[in-house]
Amino acid sequence: MNEIVQFMLPELGLTVLLFVLLFVRIVGKLELAGQVCQLMNIALPILALCMWFMPAPEGAQFGGMMISSKLIVTEKLLLLVGTWIISLFSSPWLRGHRHPAEFYMLMLSTLMGIFFLLSSGDFLLFFLALELSAIPLAALCNFDLEKHVSGESAMKMIFSSALSSGILLFGISLLYGATGTLSFVQIPALLDGSPLQIMAFVMIFTGFAFKLSIVPFHFWTADVYEGAPVPVTAFLSVISKGSMAFVFVSALYTVFRPLSEIWYIAITLLAVISMTVGNLFAIRQQNLKRFLAFSSIAQVGYLLIGISGSSIDGMSSVVYFVLVYVFSNLAAFAVITLVSSATSRETIDGLKGFHASNPLLAWVLALALFSLAGIPPTAGFFGKFFLLTAGAAKWNSPVLIVAALNMVVSLYYYLRVVKAMFMDSSDDTMIRLTPNVSVQFALLLCTAGILLLGFYSPAYEWIRSLSFGI
Amino acid sequence: MTLSIFYFLSFLAILSALMVVVSKNPIHSVLYLIITFFAIAGHYVLLNAQFLAAVHVIVYAGAIMVLFLYVIMMLNLNAEVEPHKSVWLKSAATVAGGTLMVVLVGALRTSASVGSPLPADANIGLIKTLGKTLYKDFMLPFEISSILFLAAMVGAVMLGKKETK
Repeated sequence: MNEIVQFMLPELGLTVLLFVLLFVRIVGKLELAGQVCQLMNIALPILALCMWFMPAPEGAQFGGMMISSKLIVTEKLLLLVGTWIISLFSSPWLRGHRHPAEFYMLMLSTLMGIFFLLSSGDFLLFFLALELSAIPLAALCNFDLEKHVSGESAMKMIFSSALSSGILLFGISLLYGATGTLSFVQIPALLDGSPLQIMAFVMIFTGFAFKLSIVPFHFWTADVYEGAPVPVTAFLSVISKGSMAFVFVSALYTVFRPLSEIWYIAITLLAVISMTVGNLFAIRQQNLKRFLAFSSIAQVGYLLIGISGSSIDGMSSVVYFVLVYVFSNLAAFAVITLVSSATSRETIDGLKGFHASNPLLAWVLALALFSLAGIPPTAGFFGKFFLLTAGAAKWNSPVLIVAALNMVVSLYYYLRVVKAMFMDSSDDTMIRLTPNVSVQFALLLCTAGILLLGFYSPAYEWIRSLSFGI
Repeated sequence: MTLSIFYFLSFLAILSALMVVVSKNPIHSVLYLIITFFAIAGHYVLLNAQFLAAVHVIVYAGAIMVLFLYVIMMLNLNAEVEPHKSVWLKSAATVAGGTLMVVLVGALRTSASVGSPLPADANIGLIKTLGKTLYKDFMLPFEISSILFLAAMVGAVMLGKKETK
């Protein structure tokens, strides 16, 4: 019994928080908004500390349905810290809202779905966890109840996630028909590359591609990001995407290992399209959230190059890239949340003259964008560098050349935002923003992450020691 | 005997599923869908899954179809308000769907079936066996689905509640 409690500590912790919030919401009054935020800002790091000091033992439980390893614990910890940062910087925005408890309940149940997704050991649990990580998120997209765009975003989110789940489920059922098992451990031995199995794999792959918004499957991503409230967009693009990247790489490297020659072609092709289309569309965007949406599509393209390496370096570079991406992207979203909740501006032009009124915040945003673009002193450079090195092991230079060219293109649009902040002057000057303690702390965490992760090499070494290749 | 029932039910299911898509009147589509669900429930009985068959009829043919009818009547769909789709879009969809069908048929044609289609144990579909499996082997997914429903309810209540100012 005790063993199972320690094994499921992160999930059980989130369940307890979920029920505490439920009772707070039923018993408490609406004026408790501030306390709910404070409670969560304290409870989430405590849970992270518990996970750090009492890591789940390696192995499998529930008849192999749920698995755990040091790598999975690390991934969960990273996503939990990311959620904590979102919670920290969204508290000023949330205080003005009527349903803070519901916000946290939906966010934590999504996170729980992600945790189960990461440690799922068979396709049944995998699918349930995937639904648990998608359905509450659609409700979160509609959190700005009085705005129509928010409702539109939620509808598009639920349609695209229902479609992708349907395709994925069809693929899973075909795979079950072809192999007769759902267990991740047994499937690889039974995969022999027969047409039916490849068909099943293509459908499962499509489902993943929808969730990661890889290019031919990206259609509504920008609309969803634009309509959702900024903290929810941050959760969508960082926590949700990051977790899917983790699951995708470990599924390809373990369950679909025998089909690696097939998915290698698919992945390199999609990487090239994703990078190019994401970057070219990002250039045209005026809205900051749409801009970050297309930038995240392009980043997924780079991620796929790392995955295509199919080695230990491939997996460790993906995990490291997501680690860096969490801090860089959340720093950008934290500043945008501040600007948007104070002035309701969400366009690049709205940031004109931002440096003159808020020098420190402008520097944080600039640093975050430098890291996303991959400019050397920041951690983002090393993230992309490792991804390309992992991909280079396969000697497919055309893909790497396209990736390098795309990075040059991406510099242009990231620096366009920096130019608007530092060099352009605007007629209506921005008011001076005063972030409260929790937002300051979130910004400090992100900045430290961006700067230190690049210089602190043991971080990458440690991730590499936990990873595995084909 | 079982084989001929299987073929009859499959024919019925596919025919009515086609009618769901083809028929112009949305109400007729829903009624054909009910026939499809009954045919699939028949398949469950053939596989010794009696309880699943009963639940399938109650939940899908009963509850969900009533919901469908309700929504369709609320939306008041008819041919005039239907958005007109261009010929290009229609032909592109036909080509894409047809290609997918060819690929699927090709993939299924060459594949050998795994194991016997009929379960060895005739009591496998009884509630008693099902309950034991559900609470023993599949307890974790069962509990996760309860959390999923809780989260979905919280979301629905939050979105649906009337704002008091």
